[in-house]
This record gives sequence, C-alpha cells and structure tokens, in this order.
Amino acid sequence: MSSETAEKYKAISPAEFFYKYKEIAGFANPARALYQTVRELVENALDATDSHGILPDIKIVIQRADPVQEFYRVTVEDNGIGIPPDIVPNAFGRVLFSSKYVLKQTRGMYGLGVKMAVLYGQMTTGRPIEVITSKREYRRIYFFKIRIDINKNEPIVLERGSWRKQRDWHGTIVSLTIEGDWGKAKARIKEYVNRTAIVTPYANIVMYTPDNEVVFYKRVIDVMPRPPREVKPHPYGVDLEMLKMIMESSKQPTILEALVENFQSVGEVTARDLLTRAGIDPSISPSSLKEDDLLKLVNVMKTYSQYKPPSSSAISPLGTEVIKAGLNRMFEPEFVEAVTRRPSTYEGHPFIVEAGIAYGGKVPLSEPDKPTTLRYANKIPLLYDEGSDVITSVVKEDIAWENYLVSFPAPIVLLVHVCSTKVPFKGVGKESIADVPEVRREIKLAISEVARRLRGYLTAKQKEFEAQRKVVHLAKYIPEIARSIEVIFSGDGLDREILVKKIVEIISAKTGIPESKINEVLKNVEIGA
Amino acid sequence: MSSVDVKARKNAMRVLKERFKTIIEQIQRGEKPTLIMPKRVLSNTIYDEKSKMLLLGPDVLKRSFIDVNEARKFMQTLLMASIIYEALVNNEYPTIRDLFYRGKHSISYRDVDGKLIHENTWDEQKESDSVIRDLEVFMNVLREEMLILSKEKGKVVGNLVIKSGDDVIDLSKMGHGAYSIEPTPDLLEFRDVDAEYVLVVEKDAVFQQLHRYGFWRKYKAILVTSAGQPDRATRRFVRRLNEELKLPVYVLTDSDPYGFYIYSVFKIGSITLSYESERLATPNARFIGVSMTDVFGDGVFQKILNNVRELGGFTKSALGRLKKKKPYLSESERKNYVIKAKQRDIERAVELVGYDVAEKCIESSEVRSKLKKKEGLTGYPWFRTPEWIRELCIFFNTLNKLEIEAMASKGLKFLADTYIPEKIEGNDWID
Repeated sequence: MSSETAEKYKAISPAEFFYKYKEIAGFANPARALYQTVRELVENALDATDSHGILPDIKIVIQRADPVQEFYRVTVEDNGIGIPPDIVPNAFGRVLFSSKYVLKQTRGMYGLGVKMAVLYGQMTTGRPIEVITSKREYRRIYFFKIRIDINKNEPIVLERGSWRKQRDWHGTIVSLTIEGDWGKAKARIKEYVNRTAIVTPYANIVMYTPDNEVVFYKRVIDVMPRPPREVKPHPYGVDLEMLKMIMESSKQPTILEALVENFQSVGEVTARDLLTRAGIDPSISPSSLKEDDLLKLVNVMKTYSQYKPPSSSAISPLGTEVIKAGLNRMFEPEFVEAVTRRPSTYEGHPFIVEAGIAYGGKVPLSEPDKPTTLRYANKIPLLYDEGSDVITSVVKEDIAWENYLVSFPAPIVLLVHVCSTKVPFKGVGKESIADVPEVRREIKLAISEVARRLRGYLTAKQKEFEAQRKVVHLAKYIPEIARSIEVIFSGDGLDREILVKKIVEIISAKTGIPESKINEVLKNVEIGA
Repeated sequence: MSSVDVKARKNAMRVLKERFKTIIEQIQRGEKPTLIMPKRVLSNTIYDEKSKMLLLGPDVLKRSFIDVNEARKFMQTLLMASIIYEALVNNEYPTIRDLFYRGKHSISYRDVDGKLIHENTWDEQKESDSVIRDLEVFMNVLREEMLILSKEKGKVVGNLVIKSGDDVIDLSKMGHGAYSIEPTPDLLEFRDVDAEYVLVVEKDAVFQQLHRYGFWRKYKAILVTSAGQPDRATRRFVRRLNEELKLPVYVLTDSDPYGFYIYSVFKIGSITLSYESERLATPNARFIGVSMTDVFGDGVFQKILNNVRELGGFTKSALGRLKKKKPYLSESERKNYVIKAKQRDIERAVELVGYDVAEKCIESSEVRSKLKKKEGLTGYPWFRTPEWIRELCIFFNTLNKLEIEAMASKGLKFLADTYIPEKIEGNDWID
C-alpha cells in the first residue's frame, strides 16, 4: 500500500479526512473495504514481525458477524513485537498520530491505514476495534476496546483489561467488524494472501474464510530479509514542504547544526557550503528561516553535486534466497532463479530492484505474449493496473524473450520487486509503478539477468534432450543392423550379442553417451515382422 | 539352374561379403561403422569428354552410423544387403518391388518421452529403390549382376545365336515375335553372329514393321527396340553387341527432343543413373535419324546463320562447314507428316542444347518469352556440337517434330530400302 513514512504533524478532522480520502484509501464500497481491511491488518502484522527479526506466524480469520446484515469480523493475529499499552489508544484511535521524521521502508504506514479501517467499521457497524497485545518482556497481556471520537480526533477507550501470561506469548491480535461483501471480495483477498505468501516463505500464514475454508502456507525457510534501518532523508529527495517541517520542529539552535543533524550525507563542510550557496547565515535559528530562504535552500540542496549517494540501509530487499524459496513453495518449478540488483537511486531516493523466475513444474501456462508477472513494491503485491506499470512495459518492450529461448505461452512466472524509501507509484491508487528511467533500467537489468540464467538452463535442457534423442535414434537401429550383418556373415562364427555390445561401446565412445543409457533404449526396441 | 547363373550368384555374394567385411572390421576395431561410396548426386555427375560418357565424379559419401542424419540410411543399406544376400543364397530372382516388400517391417521403440513408436524400415518403394542404387555404387556391382530382375521391355531379332541359361537360341528363328532381352544380359553368351550392324529403333511398332518386312535379313542387321525409354537391360545388351561383337550401333528415334534424348541415353548414359554408364553406355552409338535436316533440309539453318555471328559457342564459319543436307520429304509430305511441337518439347530442347541457341533460332517472340524461365540453362555438353546445334536450331525455328511412323507412312519400303540404307552408306549420321 504505502511506502514511505512521511508523517505529518498537522491534524485534520478524521471524519473530514475519511470522507475526503476514502476512495484513495480503498474503502469505496463494502467489497473493497473488506479487502483493504485484511490488507492493512496483514501488512501491519508482517511489519511487526519480520521487520524485527521475528519469523512470522500470521493467522487471518474472516467471519460473518451478523445473521442478517453483511457484517464481517476480521481478526488478524501476529507473533510480533507487540504494542506498549500506553500507546495502543493513540495507535488505533487517533488519526495521524506520529512522532519523529525519519525514513524507513515499511509495508503500510503503521497507523493511517488501520485507522481508516477503524473509522470505516465504526461508521458501518458501530462496533469498536478490539486489540489484544503483549510485548515479549511483559508478564501481562493487555486488552482494549476502542472507538474514535470523530469530532475531537481522540481515542475513546470503551474497555481495557489485562491478565497474566500463562504461556510465553507476544504479538498483537486485532479484530474489526465492518460491513463487507465476501462474495465479491473473495477472489481478490485470496489472491492477495497468495501473492503475499510467495514473498514470505519464512512465514506461516493461515486464513479461515467465511466459507469455512482454511488456506495454509507453511513456512519453508528460516531466512528473513534484512530488516530496514531508519535513516534520515537525503538532501536530493527533499522538497519545500518537507524542509519546512524539519526546520520548524528542529531542536538545534543553528541552521548549520539542523542540516547536519537532520540529513544524511551532510557534514559540517557540506552544510556550510550549502548555506553559502543559498546565501544564508549558518548561525541563525532554523525556525527563523523565511519562505524565500527555504526555497533557495531547497534548490541548492537539490542541485548540489558533491554528496555521497543516499544510503540504502533503509531499504530491505527480499534477497534471492527468499524469492527462490517463495517461488519453490508456490510452484514447485523445475527451474528457479533470483537476482537482487545493487542499490541505485532516482531523485535522491535509494531503491533496489529484484527479479525471480520460475519455469516448468506446476507453473501455469502464461499468456500468449508475456510471462505471468508478479509485481511487488516494498514486499506488497500489486494486483491491479498491470497494464500501466513500468514493469509490464519492460517485460513487453525491453526484453526479447525469444532470445532467452522462451516462446509464449510458456510455463513461466516472473517476479519483480521494487523496494525504496519512496517507490515511484503512478497515481493515487498505488497499484502500479511509474516509468522512471533509472528504475526502468534497473528492472530491465534484473529481468535480463534472471532470463539469461533461464536461457542457460533451457539450453542445457535442450542439449540433454537432443542427446537423449540421439541415443534413441541410433539405438533403435542397432538390432536391425546386427541382424543384417548376422545374415550376411552367418556361419562365420559371428555372434549377434557380441556385435550389439560392440556397437553400443562404439556409440558410447564416440558420442559420450553412457552405455547404460543406450542399453536402456535397446531394451524396448523390437523388430517387427 | 544354369551354370552362368550359379557363377553370377557366387560372384555377387563374394563381392557383397567382401565389401561389408569392412563394416565388421570397423566394429571390431572399435571404429564408427562407415560406408564409403561415390556420391550419387547431380553435382557429382560428370560428362567425361574422353570416354564420352556420363560418369560419377570423385566425391565420396561417408555414411556413418553414428551420424543421426545417416543412421536410418545406414540401417536400410545393411538391411537391403542382407535381403539381397539371402535371395542370392536361396537361388531367388527378386524384383525391386519384391525387395521392397521383403525388407519392409516395423521397428518399435520408445521415444524420449516414453511413447511407443513403430517405425517402418522403409515406407515407400522410392526409399528402397534408392538404397538399391546405393548398394550398386557401394559394391560397384549392377543389380542385374545380383540377379535382381526387372520387367522385360527390350526386344531383339537378327542373325545372332545366343546362349541364355542352358538354352541356345537362334534369334533369326523367332517367327513374327522377337526375343525379349532378359534383365540379366550379362549372363547371355554370344555364340554366333552374322550381321553388319545393329539398328536400335525407339518405337516398338516400327520395330515390328521392319521385322515383318524382313529388314534385318535383307541388310544383315540386328534389330533392337527399347520400346520407348531404354531400360538397363536393353542398354547393356546393345553395349555388349558393340563392344564384344564390334558391330556399329545406329539409333533411330522420332525427330523430336525426346527422341534425341533417348539416343543420348544409349550413347552417354542417363543423368540420374550415371554410375551405370560405364557398363551400360555405348559411346560409339550413332544417331541415324530421324534428323531435323532429314525433314527440312538445311536451308532454314543457313538463313539463320546469315543473321548471327556465332551460335552455341561456334562461329558462323565453323557451322557453315557442316555437310550440306537435302530433305527426304517433299514440301507437301512435310505438310502432312509434321506435328506442331508442344511447350514441353520446346523446353526439353532448351535443356538439351541451352537457352542461347533457342533465343537465336526461335522467331516468335511470344514463344521466346514463354521460355524466359529456362534462361539459366546452358545445355548438355554432348549436345553442344555443330551437328546438334543445327538440328535443334531447325527445331526451334520450325517448332515442328516428326515421328518415325511418318517415315513409314511414306512407305515402309522407303524407310527400309531407301532411308536407312542410304543414311548408313552415306555416313549420314551424327556421332
């Protein structure tokens, strides 16, 4: 869903916000809302686990909550780090609750999305959100029922409680009751969970559906992606609004110190240089900067060429092992390969492109013009707007698949993952990636690399097939030849068996095909009448 | 069974074993089994100026069993050898069709994907016939020498006594019939001959007319017909008459490109079966007629010569030195007897002598344009002689042809007592 945590400080009325943005946030109708709620909760659950080095166990339960009305109770349980009880009310009950300004790759914006779901549930069913949580080090488990006071933008805690831990449990269980449409959302939700499971082979994911169906993806690998680290923004990626907020909230006494403290790749020398170029006195207070000065500073920061490139430690690629394990778990292919490109940047934002390919086995046949393409942005599956995604453009326009010995339709699945502190999404739906030249280039290189390896495999396979065919096409004639020679030289003490054996030896010696293989074919050769 | 037959069998078996022994030796030495034989393709067919025959060139084909593309042919060659060998041992006389059926069976095997497949050793006779030809060149033995029979087609009568099998046959005592030239003419023995030349007639009907007329008795000729395209036996028989009995051979065909080609098959060999030429061709055979000049004289040709500098690579003066020719037919006879040439005839003529001659001799631009597709043809070397250029040039110019029967229609007496003897005595033939 979302990629960056550009958290804002200005609070607007949550109701106002919700009505304004409910389409964008994905709550346009009951089906969409159900799907979106599951996504928000699952993504938060994963962020609470794998981002903190915990192998996820995720349980999703969707139940009918009312015999008459289309109300559904969605419960998602994780074994993550848990939430401190004093944070819980604000985390679920205050829209745009935030703390400090840092960048880090996350799945959802912890907070915003789920609060939309809370609001939606409250407005459609009137039922509060229920949260059960505990951190590893706690002795107690905490329980909350929360509503949002829409006018005041404040959490209302309806119920609160705690009990002693009987076993060593940590994590969070969130339950929401909303109006939904399972019939219409079913396929979408299942596909979402399936696609998510492909990139989380290190997770146990189980889902109970209102149809009493249980979908289970069992963990097949103990390796997790390296968790992303929080980093300060790089000056290349700054804009006026962002700079303004940083400066306003800065605790440093001077603008010079504020720059050094709040940005990566900016030391004192660089900071002085920037301020000189912008014509700003380094010793003034950051909060005293005028709009004009800020604008000058932004322009200088964006055009300055001496920085170190942005740090990629804030981004967390899946890694080749995870991609391969995921594709293996889902498709049991005969060939699988993955590649993680080295970090690159666009407009000051670091990003990494990864690609995986699975071929054969249980991989379904692709469309007649391109491989089945699984798109991901920051580990989130992109299910819609495939046609307008730059990944699709690369797959169709930049890659000459026939050069890689792939002719469609083929049993081939291509996975492409773009991760960044700011994924260049196209439009507000955040379901497709925009055509940014640097990103497009990396996508092309990543796909080319895995496709090259696939070609290597297919070539070897073809060769082996040819070799096997050669064996058959030679061996099938051996008995007839031996028989013929025997006819001509009968009485010359010639033994047919020995002749066959000799010919097999010669074929083996001249072609490198093992004798056993030739004999295997021979077993089935019969001369008819 | 006659003794010559037995001898032929023994010899064929010996050669076959000898040649295939190399395969066993290769196998025993651990080498890949390979059949080495002259390449039987058009590009390896050479017209030998010295012997005046179409012969196989020096290119050899190495058919290795290890080569996937050749393995099937290799198997087929051995299979055919074994069937022929068995027939030789069992005193049989298979035809090529028999051999096709005897060798045709299935080989079943499992393909790479495990599917059970039944493959025929060969599917049609074309395939097995081709293998027989391969064996002939590989062993350097003709099929007749391996007692493989084909339909009898050629016939002969004349003052000639032969021994066929254990029977002695007088070919002058055949009544109205004639002796069918056996498919294995090499097993014949010439006992006694009283003849001065051999006359080979393309058309069976004309052969019969001449026979009943008593032509061969009157002119001491051995009369042979190939009844159309000559088969191998007839060609071999004629060759033996020429080579062993030292009799000159004259060939009488229709006056058209097909007739000319039949003559060249007797003389030079056939393009598709050039490997047999050495044994089957009669390089001394002469074309007695019917020639275009016999029909039209040489006036037409002289007129064309006046308008060109050279023709078919010969200068005007070289072509001008050709012997003068008067037609045997009068203007009105010609009108009655000649037939209009078909497009097929014209194209065949271009194949024989080349497009350049056709272009210069054909008057009608419409006919010329229809031949454009044959532009690349340069003709066969043995037809690029002044005599044949004249013949075919007249054909191109008149676009007429004439069947021998027409000569007989003028009067059998004319054909037998005037035309043929006159042409032979006057050395009026093309060599």
